[in-house]
Amino acid sequence: MEHEMNSYFLLAAILVPMLAGVMALFGGRLNTSVLRSITALGFGVPLIIGIYLFCNFDASLVGAYNFEFRASTGLESLGIYLHLGLNAISLPLFLLAGVVGLAAGLYAMNANAERLNLYLALLLFMLSGLMGTFASVDVFFFYFFHEFALIPTFIMIGMWGGAGRRGAAIEMTIYLTVGALLSLLGLIALYVQSGAESFSLLELRNYLLAQPLAETVQSNIFALLLFGFGILVSLFPFHSWAPKGYAVAPSGAAMLHAGVLKKFGLYGLLQIAAPLLPAGGEHWFSVIVWLALGNILFIGLVTIAQKDLKMMLGYSSVMHMGYAFLGIATFSVVGVGGALLMMVAHGLSVALLFMLATCIYHRSQTFDMSAMGGLATKAPVLAAFFVAGTMASIGLPGFGNFWGEFTIFAALAETETTRWIVAPAAIGIILSAIYGLRAAANIFFGPPKPSFATQLESESVVDMKPFEKVPALVLVVALVLTGLFPRLLSDNANAELSNIEVYKVQDTLPHHEAIALPTKEDAHKEVTH
Amino acid sequence: MTATQYLLATLLTPLASAALIAFFLRRKGVLASLVSVAAAAAIFAFTVLAIPAPGESVVASWDWLTFGHFNVSMGFLFDGTSATMLTMVAFVGFLIHVFSLGYMADDKARARFFGGLSIFMFSMIGIILADNLIMIFIFWELVGFSSYMLIGHYLDTEEAAAASKKAFIVNRIGDLGFLVGIVYAYWHFGTTNLSEMQGIVAANSELISATIAALLACGFIGKSAQFPLHVWLPDAMAGPTPVSALIHAATMVAAGVYFLIRIAFLFPESILCGIAVLGTCVAVYAGFCAYGQNDIKKILAYSTLSQLGYMAAAFGLGFPGVALFHLITHAFFKALLFLGAGSIIHGCHHEQDIFKMGGIFGKMKITSITFLLGVLALCGVYGFSGFYSKDAILIAAGLQGNVLFALLTLGAFLTAGYMGRLVWIVFFGKPKSEAAEHAHESGLTMLLPLILLAVLSVAGGYMSLWPEQLGQIIRDGKDALHHLEGYDAMHQTVLILGSAAALVGLVGSFFFYGAGATEDRLEKKAGPVYGFLKARLWFDEIYGYYVAKIQQRFANLLSVLDIFVIKGVFVRGTAGVVGLFGMCSKSLHVGNIHGYVYWFLLGLIFFWVVAIGLF
Repeated sequence: MEHEMNSYFLLAAILVPMLAGVMALFGGRLNTSVLRSITALGFGVPLIIGIYLFCNFDASLVGAYNFEFRASTGLESLGIYLHLGLNAISLPLFLLAGVVGLAAGLYAMNANAERLNLYLALLLFMLSGLMGTFASVDVFFFYFFHEFALIPTFIMIGMWGGAGRRGAAIEMTIYLTVGALLSLLGLIALYVQSGAESFSLLELRNYLLAQPLAETVQSNIFALLLFGFGILVSLFPFHSWAPKGYAVAPSGAAMLHAGVLKKFGLYGLLQIAAPLLPAGGEHWFSVIVWLALGNILFIGLVTIAQKDLKMMLGYSSVMHMGYAFLGIATFSVVGVGGALLMMVAHGLSVALLFMLATCIYHRSQTFDMSAMGGLATKAPVLAAFFVAGTMASIGLPGFGNFWGEFTIFAALAETETTRWIVAPAAIGIILSAIYGLRAAANIFFGPPKPSFATQLESESVVDMKPFEKVPALVLVVALVLTGLFPRLLSDNANAELSNIEVYKVQDTLPHHEAIALPTKEDAHKEVTH
Repeated sequence: MTATQYLLATLLTPLASAALIAFFLRRKGVLASLVSVAAAAAIFAFTVLAIPAPGESVVASWDWLTFGHFNVSMGFLFDGTSATMLTMVAFVGFLIHVFSLGYMADDKARARFFGGLSIFMFSMIGIILADNLIMIFIFWELVGFSSYMLIGHYLDTEEAAAASKKAFIVNRIGDLGFLVGIVYAYWHFGTTNLSEMQGIVAANSELISATIAALLACGFIGKSAQFPLHVWLPDAMAGPTPVSALIHAATMVAAGVYFLIRIAFLFPESILCGIAVLGTCVAVYAGFCAYGQNDIKKILAYSTLSQLGYMAAAFGLGFPGVALFHLITHAFFKALLFLGAGSIIHGCHHEQDIFKMGGIFGKMKITSITFLLGVLALCGVYGFSGFYSKDAILIAAGLQGNVLFALLTLGAFLTAGYMGRLVWIVFFGKPKSEAAEHAHESGLTMLLPLILLAVLSVAGGYMSLWPEQLGQIIRDGKDALHHLEGYDAMHQTVLILGSAAALVGLVGSFFFYGAGATEDRLEKKAGPVYGFLKARLWFDEIYGYYVAKIQQRFANLLSVLDIFVIKGVFVRGTAGVVGLFGMCSKSLHVGNIHGYVYWFLLGLIFFWVVAIGLF
């Protein structure tokens, strides 16, 4: 296969962090400044490549992949190739991984973790795996890279985690392993049952379009994928690993896992499960809806009850996944598009909040929100970032999360069958406002709690330092960009999703005959005086 | 520049100002305040330049997001109604910015305050210009955020922290209905563009949906602090006084009414009737509440609630133009009253209790005179702006011959009464505290806005003085009223009743409370009555009980369930599996990273070898 230059960039986005990780791992005797430059390169290159590829993305290649790269792996007999490429659905997530990776990396590089080079190496491996996951066209490598990114997470929690890490790490490992195994079973079943003898998503798609699987087969495989991926995305009631796991995870691991790696499951659902197994989706529709409402309402209320900042963030992240599930469950262009925006924006905001939680901890020496207060007087910039992150996460317009939530609500209202879901799902916007603003008020505003007052007086409580501000700013800028210019992501994704047949688009809008709608050209012309 | 470009400049200037302050002027309070004031001046200038000729409108639209048939656009619909509203907001906003220069001069966090004002202006202008429901919602949420930020300005106080949070959350409850209404409307009409929806409804009035109208009205109930979501507004007085004047009196809370006026064509008779009843009840309820307050700002806050009720009543009675009329005149005199209160508070070294003031008139002449002009306007004294707008509302109610008329008239009596109470106690008699003793007149930046607003409060009601381009909807509304049967007779009745209300209220309160009273006579003579008024029907207590004792306990219960049932039973149920995993992983758990990496590599190689088929 002939490769254009840009395809090698795609490979480089995976290999550079991996190599940097290896060098950090074994380069313990290297000069620190050399090591710093190498790790910085490892964290920065994927994003630079991501932005470069974003600018060179050819949106007219609907239904195909940009920057395709295909190399033999010795597994051709099974139809496995190292097949990379990006389409309009994977591109936003590829970029997300780059942005969060850079932010997490910049923050981690200046953290005073023990055995820093090992910590950074693992983070780099994780990033490498993430870039690979979203760049894979081959389902096998899609899965492989996910596991490659997952293992460092466990190790990082085990080694650098907070109090109670053992139990949390084991629970998380078991849950995620079970989830991964179930989805692996599903993927293998898909491979076997399809008879396409290929793991390439493109070939599978074309093959299954021509000869769809029997409905029961579809529904069984879909169930494996739904629950397998669902566990990975903390679908209610398989969520209990998430809050605890994130609560003890070191900030870098929490940022990359909650921000990006968790999106693997949703990405699998909307890129593989839903388009290839539409009958399965239909069969499991009401289950997804009820479980997703469980995520939003049940977990939303549980989030309100949290006193520990990181547990609260963990639960809120579980809650927001409910919206993404609802979006996918609609099987419509609007809903899946909304879910995609939600995934990207949520990844940015949750990474920001987990990072800020660590910043807060360094000042308060506690995660107990009921024992803080008044931090804004000493750290106004930190307060501003935290409020920005909270507002993003609760869906304030101006940040990307708003578009995700709003589009999903619109998608639910689109058809008669799903219309009733809008109201219960939208209660989530109140719940999230309650816990988000309570957290901000408890930590930053009002007078400090008596126990915290002396701590607040100490010299060590200062405002954000540059190494904390820069990664936070990177994430906030990305959130605002997606909030102000959602078309950066949505235009391409809309073309791609509209091309996938199972994602419905209503034929016509109601009442458009009743009015003379302005055409696109008219809309840009202004009518004055 | 074209009109569209002027509008874009109007919208984006405050955003640029806020961004500039946030990123570069955080520690430079003076410069930040000047940037913000300059932005406010520019907004007013751009607004004036953009105003279209009578009957014309400026329309522009850009695609913001498209998925399938779901299309969101950012667009302007700048017609006579929005031009009227925008001119008022830009002008009053500018005056309040200028006032803040003096009022906030000693504040350490001045940059944050002025940055917040700029964000607010940006959001508010967005609501006014928006040509579709989704864009209104977007800026609607943003004004909520700026309100949150500014109420919480004194962020180290418990009061501000609680009030800002409460305002945002209560508004979100209203926005829940609003949001659902919007997405329903989108698929019901195929659009949320205001002009397009109006066209559709005009072509086929059967498409008017009571459900959608009621849901959309929820947004109004939250933002304009109507029953049962009114509880946030009095608490919002924890913010700096200019904020109370700008956001919680003149503009943002009135945005709810403005929004109703923009979508008036979507409302069926039943929902209109409901809004009229709701507004009337709030007008009377808030009027009573004001008697139980001693904080000058809270008295004005309840007065605002009450006046918003009048606007809602006017809208519900089918006269959106009259509602807009009262909205505008109210903005003038209520901004004046709040700024006047701010001037007094500033002069009295941040004393807000009216029973600790007294004798202000002699010490702060200009503030007092302008304040009194504002009071006369609010009480609807003949010739003042408030008279014309409130008069029209009472006539509209009277002509429909129902109980609303009686209640709204009662509201007018109440208004004059509680304002009289405030005036006699604050301005006359002897100073009753050290602070009031040393009260001093404010500086020019604070007095100039007061004087200009006083002029508008007096003259703002004469439509003939308005520029021709503005207020057509108000003229239409008044004309429609004129053409109703029995207008002249009702006009006489209302004139007599309204004047009686002002007279009885202002004079009666003098005899009851006395000039410069040191304590509340009602409290002394009729404690239970006063206590009842002060309790404001126990809404805060009931909501507080619900939040703390029901919602929080329910959440805690679910949290326990989550830990013990879901985690305990589901997960521990597979304890055997866990144990097995644990034992296996324990033997591998050497605690050494090299160990893990080797295991990982070994497994990888093994898998690869098997897969390639070497075994």
